[in-house]
Amino acid sequence: MSPGQRRTLEFVLDNLVWFILVIVLAIFSAFVPNYFQPQIFINIIEQSTVLGVMSIGLAIVIIAGHMDLSVESVAALSAMVTGILFASAGIGQDLPLSPAWLKVPVSIIAGLAVGGLIGWLNGILVVKVKLDAFIVTLAAFIWVRGTVVALSGGRSAQSLAPEIRWFAIQRVFGLPLSAYIAILCFVVFSVMMMKTRFGRHLKLIGGNETAAFRAGIKVNRVLVTAFIMSGMIAALAGWLLAIRTSGATANLGIGMLFQAFAAVVIGGVSLKGGIGGVPGVYAGVLLLSSINTAINLLHLPAEYTQVIQGLLVLAAVLLDTMKHSIRKRLA
Amino acid sequence: MRKRFAIGAMALAGAMTIAQAGFAQDSKGTVYYLVPTLLDEFQTGSITALEMFLGQVGYDMETLNADNKTDLQQTQMNDVIALHPDAIILAAVDFNALAPGVEAARDAGIPVVIFDRQIDSVVSDFTSVAGTVEIGHTAAGVVQDLLTARNGSVTGKVLQILGDPGDPYTLDIQQGFEEVMADFPDVTIITEPAMQWEASNAGTIAANAIVSDPDIDIIFSHAAHLSVAVVAALEAAGKQPGDIDVMSSNGAPVGLDLIRQGWMQAEVEQPLYAQAAAVAMFMDKVVNHEEIADGEYDVLGLPSVVTHEAWGATIKIPGAAITADNVDNPSFWGNLQPPEEPVTSVE
Repeated sequence: MSPGQRRTLEFVLDNLVWFILVIVLAIFSAFVPNYFQPQIFINIIEQSTVLGVMSIGLAIVIIAGHMDLSVESVAALSAMVTGILFASAGIGQDLPLSPAWLKVPVSIIAGLAVGGLIGWLNGILVVKVKLDAFIVTLAAFIWVRGTVVALSGGRSAQSLAPEIRWFAIQRVFGLPLSAYIAILCFVVFSVMMMKTRFGRHLKLIGGNETAAFRAGIKVNRVLVTAFIMSGMIAALAGWLLAIRTSGATANLGIGMLFQAFAAVVIGGVSLKGGIGGVPGVYAGVLLLSSINTAINLLHLPAEYTQVIQGLLVLAAVLLDTMKHSIRKRLA
Repeated sequence: MRKRFAIGAMALAGAMTIAQAGFAQDSKGTVYYLVPTLLDEFQTGSITALEMFLGQVGYDMETLNADNKTDLQQTQMNDVIALHPDAIILAAVDFNALAPGVEAARDAGIPVVIFDRQIDSVVSDFTSVAGTVEIGHTAAGVVQDLLTARNGSVTGKVLQILGDPGDPYTLDIQQGFEEVMADFPDVTIITEPAMQWEASNAGTIAANAIVSDPDIDIIFSHAAHLSVAVVAALEAAGKQPGDIDVMSSNGAPVGLDLIRQGWMQAEVEQPLYAQAAAVAMFMDKVVNHEEIADGEYDVLGLPSVVTHEAWGATIKIPGAAITADNVDNPSFWGNLQPPEEPVTSVE
């Protein structure tokens, strides 16, 4: 194999999910009625906003060799906190702030504080107490959702303050500002993972924690930071979810954890840790949204969504295995 | 000081003991309510309403939440049977999966009341429902009115957003709705399910549908909280109130708020207060295994009919259509104004 062919093959392997996304979009555009129109593509990006942001935090922890099952519930709690503080109907308290735009930073800070606190607790229990991340975050997945129900009494907070809803309504080039927030998150965290020492340390720890420790990396501190970041990013996803639905219900975001996992795996992040990047995760989220949209437009029963998503994850894992064996041959 | 505190504490403890003893004397017994989930305003509202009405006729109520899990509710049923309560009120997660549990409770001498979610595959002691299929029928009537107002006749396109496709509750409403609408071939019904009753899924469905089918006249969701996300999606797409009619079924507070804001045209109410009041009104007869007579009863002002069906005595309380004209009627549970007059037991 010539060096040029080799580079091409490596480029394709590194960006496989993007190629799949393009192929899938082309197929749907050709065969699904009403699919090929700008507004549908805008919808796909808009629908990827919440899941996309949530998947970033999950990907960071998985790349670091651990697991965070609490992201869905943290997002729900953040959405409920935002709803209770700044919605005017249901259980919303419509907290008055002057000037009114202060509601935006205050709601974000409140959500991020909640997410960061839960992430810190998860991190401490995993890193310092040496509990298994799967169990710790599974427990958080349950107790945080329980907190949402307890906090809301099963009721909902609706009619979010217009100053906050503005991010879901105001559009630039057809896309709501909330979608730009998600895209910005992907850019920032992609750069962080690729270009910063912290990002490189995360990958090294995920690949081989012992080796990273012996190389002088402060493993514990990096891991706790990763969990805090995951919690805060999930909280931001929750804030975006609240502004998208103009409030919060007790079951808001339910089922998103598994979609986030699917997006992360499809996006090329290895569940064993140490491998993967944030851009691929975004492609994975866009791919899932594209498929969901096609199923909606075809008016297929929703069960097909789950079947297709499940098969897609399986295909992604098989592709990942294939990529590894090809890379070994190239090495 | 310490002595005075101790005397105060003893007096408080004594008063509480006397109050508890008095309360225990007043109580006719304990009833367990097996609620399917707490992630739904109707269900959490049903706990409050049942507790209040049963208290008015002298019963204490304990509640167990099944978290929408059939197997958990089956376990709860078995546990409650072991506690020998005076009665069990069941709002089943899965209408038929709980049938063996109902039989086991009745075999143990514990009467079972079916609340809100009708079970027709097993005999129970009393059923209080609005009728999920009937809610679909009422919704179909509302859709006919809305389409006639928009298009001059019952023609047009309706997007029906179900709840989770694994939930018989939503499937029953769909059945009732579609069996009436089958008489109107000029109405196209597009049906999409919002998985796990999650609001943002409904928003996504609406956002796609108004692009792929821009001629949609009505979006009908099977719960008000789904309509909230639908309205958010319409607003984000630049629509104004009334561009597309929005309606839903269950009459939750958020739905009534949307009617007041002009975004939603109608709600089909589940008469939560009346359903719960009926349970309390007949609880003495249920607990004492007395005959419940067929006929018309006044339940919080709603004419309701008791009939004996294959599965036992059943009271059906009609759900009402809520529009901007009657949205402030305090009898709608979505207005969260429980009736002031206490209910009394049926003699």
